[in-house]
Amino acid sequence: MNNAALLPIAPEVILLAGALIVILLLVLLDRPYREGGIVAMAALAAAAVASVLQWQALGDGADNLYFSAQGVPVPRLPMVVMDHYSAFAGVVIFVVSMLGLAVAWRLVLTLGARSAEFLTLVLLAVAGLHMMTASANMIMLFIGLETASIALYVLAGFTRERANADEAAVKYFLLGSLASVVFVYGAALLFAATGSTAFYGAGSMREFLAENIVAEPAILLLAMGLVIVGMSFKVTAAPFHQWAPDVYQGAPSGIVGLMAAGVKIAGFAALGRILFSALPSQIDDWAPALAIIAGASMIIGTVLAAVQDDVKRILAYSGVAHAGYILMAFVAGNEGIGSMWFYVTTYALTVIGVFAVVAVVSGSRSGSSPLAEWSGLSSRAPVLAWVMLIMLLALAGIPFTTGFVAKVTVFTAATDAGYLWLMILALVTTIVGLYVYFRLAAVMFLEGPAGVEEVVVPPTTALVLAVAAVTTVLLGLLPWPLLDLAREALPL
Amino acid sequence: MVLPTLILLPLIGAVAVALVPKNRSELVFPLGLAVSIPPLVAALWVAANFTVGEASFQFVTDHTLSESLGIGWRLGIDGISLWLVVLTALLFPLAVAASTAITDRTKSYLVAMLILETGLLGVFLALDLLLFFAFFEIVLVPMYLLIGIWGSENRGYASLKFVLFTGAGSVFLLGGIIVLGLFTGDLVDRLSSFDIRVMLDVELSSTAQLWLFLAFGIAFAIKVPIVPFHTWLPDAHTEAPTAASVILAGVLLKMGGYGFLRFNMTLFPEATVDLVWVLAVLGVIGIVYGAVVAIVQPDIKRLVAYSSVSHMGFVLLGLFALTSQGLTGGVFVMISHGLVTGALFLLVGMLYDRRHTRLIDDYGGIATVMPIYAGFFLYMAFASIGLPGLSGFVGELAVLVGSYLTLPVLAIIAASGVILAAVYLLWAYERVFTGPITNSANEGLHDLGLREIAIIVPLILIVLAIGIYPKPILDRIQPSVDLILERIEATTSYEVPEHGATVDEGAG
Repeated sequence: MNNAALLPIAPEVILLAGALIVILLLVLLDRPYREGGIVAMAALAAAAVASVLQWQALGDGADNLYFSAQGVPVPRLPMVVMDHYSAFAGVVIFVVSMLGLAVAWRLVLTLGARSAEFLTLVLLAVAGLHMMTASANMIMLFIGLETASIALYVLAGFTRERANADEAAVKYFLLGSLASVVFVYGAALLFAATGSTAFYGAGSMREFLAENIVAEPAILLLAMGLVIVGMSFKVTAAPFHQWAPDVYQGAPSGIVGLMAAGVKIAGFAALGRILFSALPSQIDDWAPALAIIAGASMIIGTVLAAVQDDVKRILAYSGVAHAGYILMAFVAGNEGIGSMWFYVTTYALTVIGVFAVVAVVSGSRSGSSPLAEWSGLSSRAPVLAWVMLIMLLALAGIPFTTGFVAKVTVFTAATDAGYLWLMILALVTTIVGLYVYFRLAAVMFLEGPAGVEEVVVPPTTALVLAVAAVTTVLLGLLPWPLLDLAREALPL
Repeated sequence: MVLPTLILLPLIGAVAVALVPKNRSELVFPLGLAVSIPPLVAALWVAANFTVGEASFQFVTDHTLSESLGIGWRLGIDGISLWLVVLTALLFPLAVAASTAITDRTKSYLVAMLILETGLLGVFLALDLLLFFAFFEIVLVPMYLLIGIWGSENRGYASLKFVLFTGAGSVFLLGGIIVLGLFTGDLVDRLSSFDIRVMLDVELSSTAQLWLFLAFGIAFAIKVPIVPFHTWLPDAHTEAPTAASVILAGVLLKMGGYGFLRFNMTLFPEATVDLVWVLAVLGVIGIVYGAVVAIVQPDIKRLVAYSSVSHMGFVLLGLFALTSQGLTGGVFVMISHGLVTGALFLLVGMLYDRRHTRLIDDYGGIATVMPIYAGFFLYMAFASIGLPGLSGFVGELAVLVGSYLTLPVLAIIAASGVILAAVYLLWAYERVFTGPITNSANEGLHDLGLREIAIIVPLILIVLAIGIYPKPILDRIQPSVDLILERIEATTSYEVPEHGATVDEGAG
């Protein structure tokens, strides 16, 4: 194998190498907290660069699109695929992870000797997340899913001196494992129905379904159902969202943003990979199911977000609602992929920013973030409050923010695909969403200051907030370059 | 390039205000006032260079942003939007000048005001439906903050109610825009297109027209507001700071009337003709209901707020009379109402700044201590009632004449609105100003200062000028509204009545 043959798995290789170096630093140096963080950051940056190089190589007509034990260029059983889809996912996941890690920076420094552990887990989780999006095979996708999930279970309970952190981690682990089991059962049934676990190549699921009439359509339907349910857990789509509010509330604020944003990107991308690459012929079966899940997510997410008193729970339920909006893009099939990417990318950037503000207001180690702590934020920290307002406007879908563009594109995609009822439902839930986000804005801007505590914004967090706020507005004003890229990021 | 400049000027001003360093906070207010002037200059320049008699859009900027989605930075101005733009640009400097009572977070206040101005100018100038919607919706945010942060006691409730009511309407507008954009896309062989000039060529079925009319209409009905969607307005007006009330009544409500005229009547002519009765009746209900409720208001600001409901009813009646006089009159009422009600809110605000109460019962006989103020108030009350020679008369007469041609019964009922206006305004005037001073707390009230007189006098002069000689205004409005009527005639079986007085004769 030459170097070019490794390009499809370059990001993963870089991240794993980074993880090993972080652990080695712990052995070699006395107090390598800051150095470890820098190495982790560098590994993420290098992985992002590798993804950019993948994109360029694809533009130049690279022929080593797959990675497999059997060699190149088109192995019989490809395991990892390199296409515009996976390269785009890579850039988004790695950049968002860098921002997430920057928010967690202060948490890392206070962890002492455990910081190496923390950073290693983050790198492994990110590698797993990208693997989910770049897999060419159900088995590989599952391995990526589990790599990411197990690392994140541990991260959720990382501040274990707090009782509710344990609770969050255990809950996340139990429900997450259940989701994995459901997913892998669905994968097994897909194999039963199609005789393959591969997405590409001779004898793949796609080819089988294109060339044959399925003998047992019930098994295929059940298989697709289980796969969708398993992934719905990961992306917190209703009614499989119950873990999210408790886990977000219990996990350290410094890392929730990365959990929420990273898993969503990878989860949606993986779901898209399965549906668009392996099961495109079955769109008439899975699109209505996704439309129903989307509708349920919007309703449950916005309504429950409206009655929460804790900002992290509000954001968790808002995440459920946004999962619904993103799923609207899926029902449009291939036409919706660009909208899905735009939504997922901009939503991830906003969510990282929002949780960065949470980490500042409530402390990066803390679990809960009651509304009372946000009272009068605009008097205590005007810039922070304005930045948060921009993010909230984006989440509410107000124009001149990315949230508006994202909503318009997915609404257009779903309506064009004939799902007018879903768009009308989405419009109605958007109204409730206005209440959710403006209520939080009211607490920050309209109520008097609750405490005199000084709000300290760490420099790394300030940088993340600047990036998140600027991209939210700039890509809201001029979304065209990103929209064009997103529309190119199609799976093979 | 004058229109993009016009929209961006307030935004540039907002940035300038935001950049004032903390230790030079005394510069914030003068700078805010200064940067609100250039948009007025630009708007007047546009008005001066506007080609009279030309019905379609002028000063057009067309810059495609996304080929496949059919979105563009498309701006233009015609007779319908021209005066609304001038009105907007005129009211903002006056509203800012009337904001000296704001001492808390002045910088944020001025930034919010200037962003609001950008949004409103954009609403009236956008020729791309999605761009229009973006401006239409962004207006919510600064107005929410203005009411919510700088309003009076019940501001939290009022501001959230404002956002939810008007936001609820606009999401259906967004839905309608997307559907219509997809229809238009089929026409030009793209996914979608939002150019309203292209949209005119889309042939829609009657059912599609009806549903789209309703989706668009609900958003505009809430903004106007049409009874029964008006309940947000008295709360928002009452709790808002003076400047926000001025803009709310003067400009924000006009987004609704403008929307009906520019989009509903232009894009869905068949549905318009079918629904004429429904909307005209709702307009008349608004006229009478708003006036009757205004009579019994104990709160003077609420009284003016309900009078807005009544006046906007005239706008609606005029538009859906579907005659040249009615449409022209409807647009003219919007302009006149913006000036007169804006002035009334400014005046109420000046009184509130002195006594911090808006209850009519707390006053009585204050004409003896504030003669200039009382004179100004009476003048604007007469303008609002529609005294001949002042601006209110021209528009309402044109509406009544125009609607009498097609909807005579409704026109006769609507005429009672003029009488009721005299009742609520003059009765309120009597209780607040005439007789001896009943409340000793009012004895020390001082009359208007130079700054306050300078704010009101321009409005007094304009109200008089366009009341006596409305021709320059009407000449520019009429060709554009006639174009809409021509389109309705061309696409439906409806015929605009030819006979009857022209607006000029009627108003002369």
